[in-house]
Amino acid sequence: MKPAPFDYVRPASIDEACTILSEAGGGATVIAGGQTLVPLLNLRMSQPFVLVDIGAIPELRGVDRVVGGIRVGPMTRQADALEDQLLAQHLPAFVRALSHVGHHQTRNRGTIGGSVALGEPAAEMPATAVALGAEIEIASIRGTRRVPAEAFYLGPYMTVLEPDELVTGIIYPDWPQGHLVVFQELAQRPGDFALVGMVGALVIEGGLIQRVGLSWFGMGPTPMKMRRVEAELQGKAPDALDLKSLSRLAVSDAAPFDDHHASAEYRRTVGGRMFTRSIGDALALGEVA
Amino acid sequence: MSEYRVEMKVNGRRVAEAVEARTSLGDFLRLKLGYTGVHMGCEHGVCGACTIMVDGRAVRSCLMLAVQAEGSEVLTVEGLADAQDALHPAQDAMRKAHGLQCGFCTPGVVMTLASLCADRRCDEQSMVAAMSGHICRCTGYQGIRRAITMLAAEVGSAGSDT
Amino acid sequence: MSEQTLIPSAGSGAARWIGKRVERKEDARLLTGRGQYTDDVVLPGMLHVAFARSTIAHGRITRVETSVAAELPGVHAIYTARELAAQPITMMSFFFTPSEVPITPLAGELVQYVGDPVVMVIAETRAIAEDAVSLIEIDYEELSPVVTIADAMAAAPIHPGTETNVASEIGDEEPEEDLAQALQGAHCLLTQEVVHQRISQAPMENRAILATREGPEELTLYITCQSPHNIARWVSLALGLPQTAIRVIAKDVGGSFGLKNTPWKEECAVICAAMLFGRPLKWTEDRYEALTASNQCREAQMRLSAALDANGRLVASHAVYDCNNGAYPQGADNNIAVHMFLWAAYKMPAYAFLSRGWYTNTNGLAAYRGPWAMESLIRETLLDKAARRLGIDPVEIRRRNLVYLKDQPAVSCMGIPVDDITPGECLEKLVAHFDFAAFRKEQAQAREQSRYLGVGIAAYIEPTGSAGSMVTMTGELAQVRIEPTGRVTAMMSTHSQGHGTATTMAQCIADRLGVAYDDVTVFEGDSSRGGFGPGAAGSRQGVIGGGAAIRASEMLADKVRVLAAHLFNASPESVSIEDGIVHIAGAPEMSRPLGEIANIAYAEPDRLPPGFEAGLEAQFRYQPPPMTLTSAAHLCVVEVDTDTGFVKILRWISSEDCGTVINPGVVEGQISGGLAQAIGMVLLEEMPYDARGNPTAATFKDYLLPAISDVPVFEFIHANTPSKTIGGMRGVGEGGAIIGPPTLVNAIADALSPFGEIEKLVLPLTPARILDIVEQRDVSGFGASHSEMATAPVADAVQEPEAPPPMPENSQEQSAAEARSIDGDWNMVLKTPMGPQPMVVTFATDGAGGVSGMFSSAEGSQAFDGGRLDAGRVRFDLKVEKPMKITLKYDLLIEGDIVSGKCKMGMFGSAKVTGQRA
Ligand code: FES
Ligand code: FES
Repeated sequence: MKPAPFDYVRPASIDEACTILSEAGGGATVIAGGQTLVPLLNLRMSQPFVLVDIGAIPELRGVDRVVGGIRVGPMTRQADALEDQLLAQHLPAFVRALSHVGHHQTRNRGTIGGSVALGEPAAEMPATAVALGAEIEIASIRGTRRVPAEAFYLGPYMTVLEPDELVTGIIYPDWPQGHLVVFQELAQRPGDFALVGMVGALVIEGGLIQRVGLSWFGMGPTPMKMRRVEAELQGKAPDALDLKSLSRLAVSDAAPFDDHHASAEYRRTVGGRMFTRSIGDALALGEVA
Repeated sequence: MSEYRVEMKVNGRRVAEAVEARTSLGDFLRLKLGYTGVHMGCEHGVCGACTIMVDGRAVRSCLMLAVQAEGSEVLTVEGLADAQDALHPAQDAMRKAHGLQCGFCTPGVVMTLASLCADRRCDEQSMVAAMSGHICRCTGYQGIRRAITMLAAEVGSAGSDT
Repeated sequence: MSEQTLIPSAGSGAARWIGKRVERKEDARLLTGRGQYTDDVVLPGMLHVAFARSTIAHGRITRVETSVAAELPGVHAIYTARELAAQPITMMSFFFTPSEVPITPLAGELVQYVGDPVVMVIAETRAIAEDAVSLIEIDYEELSPVVTIADAMAAAPIHPGTETNVASEIGDEEPEEDLAQALQGAHCLLTQEVVHQRISQAPMENRAILATREGPEELTLYITCQSPHNIARWVSLALGLPQTAIRVIAKDVGGSFGLKNTPWKEECAVICAAMLFGRPLKWTEDRYEALTASNQCREAQMRLSAALDANGRLVASHAVYDCNNGAYPQGADNNIAVHMFLWAAYKMPAYAFLSRGWYTNTNGLAAYRGPWAMESLIRETLLDKAARRLGIDPVEIRRRNLVYLKDQPAVSCMGIPVDDITPGECLEKLVAHFDFAAFRKEQAQAREQSRYLGVGIAAYIEPTGSAGSMVTMTGELAQVRIEPTGRVTAMMSTHSQGHGTATTMAQCIADRLGVAYDDVTVFEGDSSRGGFGPGAAGSRQGVIGGGAAIRASEMLADKVRVLAAHLFNASPESVSIEDGIVHIAGAPEMSRPLGEIANIAYAEPDRLPPGFEAGLEAQFRYQPPPMTLTSAAHLCVVEVDTDTGFVKILRWISSEDCGTVINPGVVEGQISGGLAQAIGMVLLEEMPYDARGNPTAATFKDYLLPAISDVPVFEFIHANTPSKTIGGMRGVGEGGAIIGPPTLVNAIADALSPFGEIEKLVLPLTPARILDIVEQRDVSGFGASHSEMATAPVADAVQEPEAPPPMPENSQEQSAAEARSIDGDWNMVLKTPMGPQPMVVTFATDGAGGVSGMFSSAEGSQAFDGGRLDAGRVRFDLKVEKPMKITLKYDLLIEGDIVSGKCKMGMFGSAKVTGQRA
């Protein structure tokens, strides 16, 4: 289980990285933490000509306050993000989801950008980006662009990222202090990808749900945003909710499939209950940011 | 197949070698440097047998390329104890607790525990949580749990001393 | 946790080492990275091997193109089956019988499973070898794959030259009349059906071999295995070389669990290539290969019927068992032990079975911790079902049927003598330890809040430490010496893959010799040291190796006594050895360190007593009783989340009788490891194949091994009674994996009982399958994809081309056939559970229906008489002593020059006989 041969470059700047990616004409793969990529290399499921290590680009690392939100550099290690004060304060759902990513040892190397950019449909961080309404900042020698997370994912491990493009930041919009965190995940063992999971946030002001962002993971080919439920919840009073029918609506926003670990029917069945449980929990416990 | 020069510190010793880009840090440590205490159990990041410390943090050496360790301080199980024939508290606890049988998963387990011992905030619960990153096929984890209890008590009491 | 042992305080010294939870000798080395596993060994000039493997499950190789790969810099050689055939090798089963279907290390004409090695590349590094493999092209003409047992029953044979896909068969299709009546007429007839998934043994260290030829016919192998001695013997037979020409070294082994019993295709390819190529060759299996191309285990289905009377007492039972042997099993196997031990601990009056192994286009079957464990799983889950059906408590139904000490000696329905088992006593201790009434109350309250708790119990016995019944299963040898320095060293025939035999054997020696544990060093792991031993197989090393170490040490202690008595003019009885000091009773001034006595023994022949052999050495090969039985009862408590199907294990108690405990830490470690594997089998692990025969759990992301969060803290009650072996030990290596599954399944079934029975137990009980039971509908999708298996009775689905022809009444043809004398030699083959046994049978008729004759085989000859010939049907009894005292009842039909029929072999059931006139 040894990778096919490849060249290795470690650019010092975003520009340099983009130039390399552009010149490689599709033969380059970006490595951040490598915790998902290296297994694919070892299994020869990924065979790039050149590996572009973005670990030495200082701008890609760190968590910063920006206008209207928080910007997370893609090279920020998951372990560091877990300890980050800014994230803990402003994006508790993010931190909660992150604590379920991989294991202690893989979080020490794994990055936020790596997890977000790879687009594993049963992973926590892509769904978190979708649920919270994040935008993915992308650079190439052709310029930069921002894509809403919801539009970023096309299918399992497929995103809108072009071969010459690099994720340079993930910008999470502000959620007001006091918003409620929604998070539930069912995985057979800690660190495994989810059989079923959901993540999101709710804002209640003046006794009404004023803002809501929810997404499934492990319930379709991409993170599945619960659009219809979000619309339904908007402006409602929490105690007037019919969770049963909402949960049916939520499941209808998902497109689960059969795999080695669970059937689509299982995912639908349990997904509905998970929805009821976690929305119920969030409202009752009022897990406040 | 281009070779790259890497420099790093391994178990306190400076190392400068030429490696292929595709060589994992784990293979580099085993094959080039002879640190065969680094065990490859899966080479895809699940079993934890290959766990070492890079710059003080427990990481999978099968999921890191040797070239990525440029400039790092690497510690393997061979370099953990202060002296030849001595045992680090994590090693000692594992021995006292019968925490191993075949010993194949053991170097990785020990490196994770040792890295956590260095963190004063670390308690029993977080050590057990970190242990979910290791697969042991032999022991049913009973001895590892006991070793963690012993270690957590030690880390705790060391913390209260200061 | 009790640490007491019941062994009498004999030995020479006061300090007891047997029974102590001492730190293991192995650990300081293994904890500091100084172990030596096969892949750690590097030899000068060593090259690396990788294989190009079949990508289809079944097909004919039409083209192999290696020229591009051969040009790759760093590639030294490429072998296909044709080149490798220059070094012939006879691959054999675990019992050292040649495989029934020919096996070559590399596939020549046909590929029989995905992963079947076709081409072997030898290169500078493993990475280059893999690069070359990716450049090799292999074309196939695809044949339809036979993947499941159901496929095998219906399909044409996968192996050319065979008539069916039946790899091995024993027992009777239909229960005999009185058994059938007992079943049908009983108060209550229960049927339990289990579909056991395929498991990967998954030791953390994958297979690995480093082979180097030394001169024309000497071979050194570093190989991860279960006994270097056994490998040396196997390889010498396979290659036709003297055993002494082969040295096998396996200092440290990272687990095996049955997988590494014998070298298999890849290891044999490396051995042959090393003979041909002349440079040291290393192959280390990677995890992808391990999960997709290694041998696997456990895939089987069984249907057990048992009749009970109104009091819940067992009346009669019948079972049909089928297991998937894959394409190239390590010994074609129908798992006879399943039937031998199914009811051995229970008062079961009558039992019959049919047992078959099936060839399929999947990875071969190998052993795994308690290979026959299906018996405990299906019996104990059936008993709980019966208890619920009859309204009896699960403890009570076992009390009524288990063979307690007061009921012994007894003989099981399969003829196994039972005189030393305590499953009932273990159960009583377990029950005393757990407040059932309180639990039932808690369970009822929890149910009111829609929380579902369950308790499960199970009891079993297990054959351990067996020796003498099979060629491979020998006794164990201990060679112990007190060095001139006074330090003690021992060479043992045992071998550890994590068992810690260097520790436990040293404890036995220290205990009986009267020296400090620290002063004893045990060497194993090298076939050039110590005598033959089959290694870790069948929970045997503690029992037999321990007995050997104890007796050899006692012999050596006697020698010290004789010498010391002579030197100090005392009686041998007054000499004792304590902590390495030799004492004379009543004369403390004469106490001497052992080293001083040893020096004299080696270097001062003048001071030795007459006839005293110089030196202080002793050796003993222990031949124990044929088998030693271990008993246990376990209990676990679970909570099932009926919304999600997740199971949480809240408590687990083991109450076991493993005889004398040498080291409680090691014993508990063995049980715990087995229990973790049991939890994996019940809840997590599964090696599935798709319809094309592709294994679909190729990484540890998909093959789920239990993690720390899946395994609770185990509680132990050591309910030990010494066995009849030297030292009184009983084997404990496999038990956890045998009794764990039914204990856990019973707890889950108890929790789910408000929703219904687990009608058919399909493992693993994934969250989705749990919901199948809770919601009584097909949530998991298993029902949809396996409906045919649910409806087709196992026996009915079989086309039986080999079924023995009906016994004729009195037809004309037969009289004519009879007219032609059957006298003379017949070549026959008896299909035994250990492989086919060829033999020559000579019949002599007396003209009045009487038959006598002679059996001759490699094992020797034996005469019989008193047989009857009637209308072409020959019936006679043959009393044999090996492998055990048993009467073989032959019932043969002779038609012209062809003979067929069966042989009833006591507890082994019946086996087929085929043959023709010589
Ligand atoms: S070898 Fe690195 S995690 Fe298994
Ligand atoms: S001790 Fe063998 S795998 Fe852990």
